[in-house]
Amino acid sequence: MAGLELLSDQGYRVDGRRAGELRKIQARMGVFAQADGSAYIEQGNTKALAVVYGPHEGMGQGWTQGSQLKGARGRHMQDRERKTGGFVLEIRGSRARALPDRALVNCQYSSATFSTGERKRRPHGDRKSCEMGLQLRQTFEAAILTQLHPRSQIDIYVQVLQADGGTYAACVNAATLAVLDAGIPMRDFVCACSAGFVDGTALADLSHVEEAAGGPQLALALLPASGQIALLEMDARLHEDHLERVLEAAAQAARDVHTLLDRVVRQHVREASILLGD
Amino acid sequence: MAAGFKTVEPLEYYRRFLKENCRPDGRELGEFRTTTVNIGSISTADGSALVKLGNTTVICGVKAEFAAPSTDAPDKGYVVPNVDLPPLCSSRFRSGPPGEEAQVASQFIADVIENSQIIQKEDLCISPGKLVWVLYCDLICLDYDGNILDACTFALLAALKNVQLPEVTINEETALAEVNLKKKSYLNIRTHPVATSFAVFDDTLLIVDPTGEEEHLATGTLTIVMDEEGKLCCLHKPGGSGLTGAKLQDCMSRAVTRHKEVKKLMDEVIKSMKPK
Repeated sequence: MAGLELLSDQGYRVDGRRAGELRKIQARMGVFAQADGSAYIEQGNTKALAVVYGPHEGMGQGWTQGSQLKGARGRHMQDRERKTGGFVLEIRGSRARALPDRALVNCQYSSATFSTGERKRRPHGDRKSCEMGLQLRQTFEAAILTQLHPRSQIDIYVQVLQADGGTYAACVNAATLAVLDAGIPMRDFVCACSAGFVDGTALADLSHVEEAAGGPQLALALLPASGQIALLEMDARLHEDHLERVLEAAAQAARDVHTLLDRVVRQHVREASILLGD
Repeated sequence: MAAGFKTVEPLEYYRRFLKENCRPDGRELGEFRTTTVNIGSISTADGSALVKLGNTTVICGVKAEFAAPSTDAPDKGYVVPNVDLPPLCSSRFRSGPPGEEAQVASQFIADVIENSQIIQKEDLCISPGKLVWVLYCDLICLDYDGNILDACTFALLAALKNVQLPEVTINEETALAEVNLKKKSYLNIRTHPVATSFAVFDDTLLIVDPTGEEEHLATGTLTIVMDEEGKLCCLHKPGGSGLTGAKLQDCMSRAVTRHKEVKKLMDEVIKSMKPK
């Protein structure tokens, strides 16, 4: 069987796209009722959803639900919990984690066990998920105006339901929409896209097949208005002469994503204002 | 004004509604929230379903893998359910190992699968003593607004109905399994268990399909799982206030009606999925 041709002579990729073409993106905001902000995005076959809770008081190890405690103390806590209709605060040094001058951004990445071709044994807590969580946190700390919410915590949870390449980018895009849905002030949109390099051409928005082929891959998170890069990560070897082109392809793709996300946000706001009767 | 009263005295607020035989979201005491189901959206999973019961959203993905059967049951496959209540579905859950509620829900689903015989484990056998299918059913709650057990049961049922397993033959010479991805067949679902949950208020009043707030204020909960012949598969009443036998009978008749509603919805969805 001949090797899979990632870029044909006519310039078409495996799924029929051109080199710089993005996959079809569909996004929706405000999909979940429990969360402060939520969003769902589909980039081709990659489906990711992001949920934001916050800004709220820093929850370290201190918060418990009374029902989890045993014995008489547990019953007492349960009654208190029932009357207050929520949490019972047990101060156990939870304040220690909150920062005095800005908000703490906490990101967690989880990918469903059925999201990949082979079943994933550990949906979260493994190295890759921790790394992704850290990258997301670093990306969003650059964009969210954390100085406006001192001593509080913003939780961003991202869940990947189906992974078909470009999971980091989909997560960042979904999280941007979710943070906007929650009304948390940001410096700018954060738009992300992946890029690769095959046969002297830079490809934008890699699918799983293209990622698995083993060529160089670049993940870029951009703040479009200022053109500043929030996060840049590259795997595999790439000659420095080609870096410029790949970076430009990724940046252009991120700007295209920005146009799309901007439209989604405006549409959502328009719908919300119609419902409010303005 | 009403919102202030609700925060200060949630129980009194609810009692006012219950006295008029209705609930704050406008439902009657015996009415379920709008149920929507979407089948087959995750193409990496062998079967998937997304169920929304009002705001409660549960997604179920089924992945099939090979396994060696145990020696005391050489012709039986495995169905392994797992319910995950991640911190994204509600602020009451924290990240880390599965909490109490998730474990109870996982065990409940395992019991439902076992008791209702939704799939005959013998159907999952490929080669007795050597190779069987194991179906990993992973249920993730995406939005928690009460009544998680009903949503999980329905999602599981819908996902299993959507599972297509490829044909597997054992090559005699090499003793290796050969998978024919082109020939896929649906699972043989023998029964359709449907769960109906109730919440008990003030030790007397029963309401169906409690939301998150109602579950919190309730003094007890009850879940009944019925299948189509009116057979009781599972009855889950974890403590809480006592119930008389008569009340239990009322609950069971409501469960039978609910089964019909859910079956109708499922048939519609399956029919719309079939290629025309």
